Amino acid sequence: MVGSARKLRTAFAILLTMLLALVLTSCSSSGDDASGTRDLCSPPGIESASAAPTNLAQGATEAEDRYTTPDVVPLESIDTSRLGLITPGVLTVGTLSDAPPSICVNSEGVFTGYDNEVLKAIGEKLGLEVQFVGTEFAGLLAQVAGHRFDVGSSSITTTDERRNLVGFTNGYDFGYFSLVVPNGSPITGFSDLNASTRIGVVQGTVQDDYVVNTLKLDPVKFPDYNTAYANLKTGQIDAWVAPSQQAEGAIAPGDPTSIVENTFSVNNFVGWAVAKENQPLIDALNSGLDAVIADGTWAELYTEWVPRELPEGWKPGSKAAPEPELPDFAALAAQSGTEPAGTPAAEQKSTLTQLRETFFDWGLYQKAFPELLKTGLPNTLILALTSGIAGTILGMLLAVAGISRTRWLRWPARVYTDIFRGLPAVVIILLVGLGVGPVVQGLTGNNPYWLGAAALALLAAAYIGEIFRSGIQSVEAGQMEAARALGFSYRRSMSLVVVPQGIRRVLPALMNQFIALIKDSSLIYFLGLLATQRELFAVGRDLNAQTGNLSPLVAAGLFYLILTVPLTHLVNYIDHRLRVGRKEVTLDPLEQDLVVERG
Amino acid sequence: MTAPTLEGVSLTGTGLHLAFGSNKVLRGVDLHVDAGKTVTVIGPSGSGKSTLLRVLNRLYEPDAGDVLLDGKSVLKDNPDALRQRIGMVFQHFNLFPHKTVIENIALAPRKLKGMSKDEARALALEQLELVGLAHKAESRPANLSGGQQQRVAIARALAMKPQVMFFDEATSALDPELVKGVLALMADLGAGGMTMVVVTHEMGFARSVSDTVMFMDHGAVVETGTPDQLFDSPETERLQQFLSQVL
Repeated sequence: MVGSARKLRTAFAILLTMLLALVLTSCSSSGDDASGTRDLCSPPGIESASAAPTNLAQGATEAEDRYTTPDVVPLESIDTSRLGLITPGVLTVGTLSDAPPSICVNSEGVFTGYDNEVLKAIGEKLGLEVQFVGTEFAGLLAQVAGHRFDVGSSSITTTDERRNLVGFTNGYDFGYFSLVVPNGSPITGFSDLNASTRIGVVQGTVQDDYVVNTLKLDPVKFPDYNTAYANLKTGQIDAWVAPSQQAEGAIAPGDPTSIVENTFSVNNFVGWAVAKENQPLIDALNSGLDAVIADGTWAELYTEWVPRELPEGWKPGSKAAPEPELPDFAALAAQSGTEPAGTPAAEQKSTLTQLRETFFDWGLYQKAFPELLKTGLPNTLILALTSGIAGTILGMLLAVAGISRTRWLRWPARVYTDIFRGLPAVVIILLVGLGVGPVVQGLTGNNPYWLGAAALALLAAAYIGEIFRSGIQSVEAGQMEAARALGFSYRRSMSLVVVPQGIRRVLPALMNQFIALIKDSSLIYFLGLLATQRELFAVGRDLNAQTGNLSPLVAAGLFYLILTVPLTHLVNYIDHRLRVGRKEVTLDPLEQDLVVERG
Repeated sequence: MTAPTLEGVSLTGTGLHLAFGSNKVLRGVDLHVDAGKTVTVIGPSGSGKSTLLRVLNRLYEPDAGDVLLDGKSVLKDNPDALRQRIGMVFQHFNLFPHKTVIENIALAPRKLKGMSKDEARALALEQLELVGLAHKAESRPANLSGGQQQRVAIARALAMKPQVMFFDEATSALDPELVKGVLALMADLGAGGMTMVVVTHEMGFARSVSDTVMFMDHGAVVETGTPDQLFDSPETERLQQFLSQVL
């Protein structure tokens, strides 16, 4: 036992030293951006201007614009109190963190990107504060339709299918789809894709829709652009169909991939999603958009963030909006030597270098650690602790109900346990967070953070209840009998004698459950969090999305290990102590001296 | 060791029946113990001895029959209140392993008689001195020998100041060298005026300490009498057979 205690202490020491060293180095050199990794979530500037793609697929521009409004209501006539906003005076916007430069979180943890900057400018015109909340694309439109957000801002291409679910504003951007393949691939265009090609798309995006419904192929679906691109680079997929903005953003100089073809449809411009029945808000945003186009703000932001030639036959805003005055991007592109998208980059890095840069970018660790420590760690601990405590209380009730002699207590407890133990954690979190969210909006103020904690607690309660129940039932029947024989009622025998012993026996299992909670708290990510509410995983994930590098996720992983590894060893230690205990049996002299007096 | 003066009351069971499903465990058992006397119940395993004790203190409710304590029926009383008047000691001690020795003893007086923590501890220590284990007050039961644990269990039962004590094979689980101490303590209690019902396999004890011996088989009383009557001149064949096996 001494040995194991020493080992434990050594493990602690190593972990602590690691953490300290990392935190110290990150503090001493924060701001000194030695890494050279580009921050994908900052305006690339006019120097990155590009001409319209030359490799446009045939027939891409031949269509009629059916959805752009002929004009807009005058800005002055808009009454912001009638826009049906979730919080009066505030535009609550659901957005994503992982698609720079359109939508992303910058190094200060602020939601920005081209789409969001234009939206902020519009908010200013309308006199509305804009508040951004991060979420996942797969759930964004449903959340807008369900009034979780007033607006969805995520480079959403306005397809007919999506128009069945939500309403859209006029276009503020346009999207080509790019076909990205590894250099030297036999695939040179969309027409080369066939059933045997492994095509990657992001789940629920218009590219997903395009591959399935237009190309009639079965794509590999990824949760986000980075993952899709990483899979292309490692050869897990043969091609990636991506929004051209994301494709161009993702491909770093030296990457062994290139864009071989683009496609475009004038009906599929990019707009903001608004609940279908909220026409006043759509009208207001359209007016605001035309206003920022008219005063040149749109052109400024467009040039700063996404400078590229407008496609033939399309301009932003309503049909009545003035033609924006943009620099000649094609000329600039030619001048600065920026190659039109689709030309393979010159030099190529070795696989080993790529791996090292992807996982062990020291500069990114330095960037990630302060944020992980200040935002991620406290939120992870708050989530795990609150859900742990609530789950323990609820679990205790479930356990007592589960061993009750009354069927009406036993059955519901049984059913609850079966359901919550039988469902994947992420399903419970999404169902509670997105399903219950709108119902209890008044209570939670539309903030899914505590709903997430509640979902975790409900999940943990099912497991903890079973742990308690098995612990209580493992206490020998003689304990209950002895307590009853002394004159205690059933309930007091339970609470004074049986339950305390049961709990003691299952402490290791409870600790394991808490470790599971620390890890499961990362699933709250799916509900959409404010920048200050992000736990370890979300912080690492956002920084990963910002940079396209996996190092921040590795850093987040380190934090999880620093929490879970010592706890795991503590569990082993407690378990050992409980099973072996401290033995010191001695026979007292009285034992032998006593004799039977009568007889 | 001086015997304390105890105030036992009489205990009577009449026509006690109990069945678990189709298994008839007790089939009309009668038992009477005068105040301050000791009845020993002997018999083969499964004869219903332990069940009889549990029916008498209503851990199992009898299907038929009556239980009288100090001449009054107790079947209508609150069973928890009844059990406070009857101490019980078990074969496997059943001490509470998560509490220290003194906490084991002080728990019931504190929680059931509303004593203050200090009062209950003083009482517990008094009981511990009586069984010669005051120096183990702060130990955990797991760190005591079997004999010591059983003496603590006896102290725990006595702390409630019971009017009757039940012993359910209290020495069966003990190593032979530890049996003497516990039996001596039981003998002291009997001598001190406690009413006792002792289920035991210790024939020496049954013979030397009890006022009455009761032989049970198949859920019924086969023979009752003084120790001398039963051990020296058993009347029934079944008792003769039993004694020839255990003596």
